[in-house]
Amino acid sequence: MEERLYDVIFICRPATPEEEITKIITTLEHACAEKGGKVEKLEKWGTRKMAYRVAKHREGFYVYLQIRSTQGELLREIERRLAVSDVVIKYLTVRLDEELKRQQKYQGKRERKIARRPRKPAPAPASPAEQAPAQPA
Amino acid sequence: MADEQRPQGGSSYGGPPRREGGGQGRPGGGPGGPRKGKRQFFRKKKVCRFCVDRVDFIDFKKVEMLQPFIQERGKILPRRMTGTCSRHQRWLGEAIKRARNIALLPFATGM
Repeated sequence: MEERLYDVIFICRPATPEEEITKIITTLEHACAEKGGKVEKLEKWGTRKMAYRVAKHREGFYVYLQIRSTQGELLREIERRLAVSDVVIKYLTVRLDEELKRQQKYQGKRERKIARRPRKPAPAPASPAEQAPAQPA
Repeated sequence: MADEQRPQGGSSYGGPPRREGGGQGRPGGGPGGPRKGKRQFFRKKKVCRFCVDRVDFIDFKKVEMLQPFIQERGKILPRRMTGTCSRHQRWLGEAIKRARNIALLPFATGM
């Protein structure tokens, strides 16, 4: 079963007390633990001005979570809880593992390319023969 | 920022995008802009900022990275303005749309 990596961001109403927010985070963490997921990162970005009005608020309290899990079910549960919650006004979940795989693929290619031949400042494709005149005679 | 003309695009940028209408059949070089008498769009052969920095992943959470690529009105800037390569423009668009959905960037600022 491949491991999936998710980014979850949600926004709470700006005036919510700290404990409410912590309660929601704890709920999500429990949901995670039940379904075999792991919370990799948790960041509270705090109150921040939003780019447009959401639920008649101009500011919101942003929370960011990164979750690693093998079950897609977990995300459905998380989204359900966020949708049901009163304090959460907006949420977004993004699946990241494909993108990270792609990123690693590019990095891997780049490293192999560099290892294969030394970096040349000239944009022309390098060939071993070209290095000879470049060396100080 | 001089108006330099690169010979036969050997850079990693891959040369200017194809123009409609037959040119002189030369792949690169020459002043930019279609021949049909329209205004010249590209004056400088910009390189893709992301290609130069070797960015593999455009994070939608980093608003400051995305900000230079949207207009004041909130619209996404076209590639010909920013000089981004097609691959990164696609990723950029996706990232901007995600950021818009989470209210980090506006959809449109009424102006």
